[in-house]
Amino acid sequence: MALGGTIRGKKTTLRLPIEADLETYNRWMADMRVRRAHRVWHEPAMPATWKERFKEIAKVKESILWSIDTDGKLVGFALGRLWTIGNAFDVIHFLIDPAEWRKGYGFDAALALHRYLFDYLDLRLATAELRADNAAALKIVAKLGYIEFAHGHEVHYRDGAYVDEIKLRMDKETWQERWSTEREYPPLAADATR
Amino acid sequence: MFGPRIDGHNGIVLVPSTLEHFKLYMSWMLQPETDRFWGPRFGEVTEEKQAERFKKTGEDETQIQWTIAYHDEPVGFTGIFDIDWVRRDGESGIFIGRHDLFGRGIASEAIRLRTDFAWRELRMHRVHNWIAHANRGSRRANEKAGYTQMGLFRRSFFRSGEWYDEWLGEAYPQTFPDQH
Repeated sequence: MALGGTIRGKKTTLRLPIEADLETYNRWMADMRVRRAHRVWHEPAMPATWKERFKEIAKVKESILWSIDTDGKLVGFALGRLWTIGNAFDVIHFLIDPAEWRKGYGFDAALALHRYLFDYLDLRLATAELRADNAAALKIVAKLGYIEFAHGHEVHYRDGAYVDEIKLRMDKETWQERWSTEREYPPLAADATR
Repeated sequence: MFGPRIDGHNGIVLVPSTLEHFKLYMSWMLQPETDRFWGPRFGEVTEEKQAERFKKTGEDETQIQWTIAYHDEPVGFTGIFDIDWVRRDGESGIFIGRHDLFGRGIASEAIRLRTDFAWRELRMHRVHNWIAHANRGSRRANEKAGYTQMGLFRRSFFRSGEWYDEWLGEAYPQTFPDQH
């Protein structure tokens, strides 16, 4: 439940995370470009600590972690949380390796993830929180169909200053309006249930 | 961790929670009278689990929790949770478990004491919260302590045939009304 299975995009694949990914996760958490753009999932640590964290996240029923690959190369990870009640999902971390930015991997993986949330899990909404100066991420969520529902002032701190936070949501209706052709499976054959 | 004793007006005091208080929370949170804007009214609510929660809360340095006492009787709880000590930001919450005491200003005074403590003793930069928009009493109590609206989350949950929105608030030291 807490480690996600395969979701295929056009350029990227969200897949089951494995222990071998943790060294790269650690490198990302130590990268100041990542830390400027995102809240860290965990601080950098020894490999044994990461293994403990990995075991812990696998046990949390409501959280789901995926690694993101492109052509067999690890380029990011996504972590979200299913609501206990209410059929919704909070996208908590969505990270692409800074060395792989501006290649369209972020949007591709985000679209695939949301197809899974709306077309497969049949959820009614997804939420995300972004730093107000993360222009690339804001562009991705706007293209997906997210809308802002709250603006927190001076929420995150880095580079000697606070930055605001934008809270956004995307409802199933928006998914259906914008992305109705995005389906994981073709329609059932007319005689499939005969 | 648990917060220190803070004396307020009209017999309202924030006190460090005890295991006995945690056992009371179980019964408070399972009543329809207190759960209209809360939920989900089920869970692992055994005495053993409450003892485990009590220990965990006491050890957790990212939260501060108090029991609210009214004329020396425990009537609810409040706290600041998920505190990020770098950003100096946390999420606040309050629950009045004794519905027969609603409307006496207990929440307003508890929130005032808690918020004042956040600025004066914890040196926090910001506190924020989510409140059911229709829970006007709780919203007003928070607004009196300096919370202002930062957003509205439409159709957050569905109950008794209608959608409930949630009000998102935030407060800063400079928004706290001068009480002195």
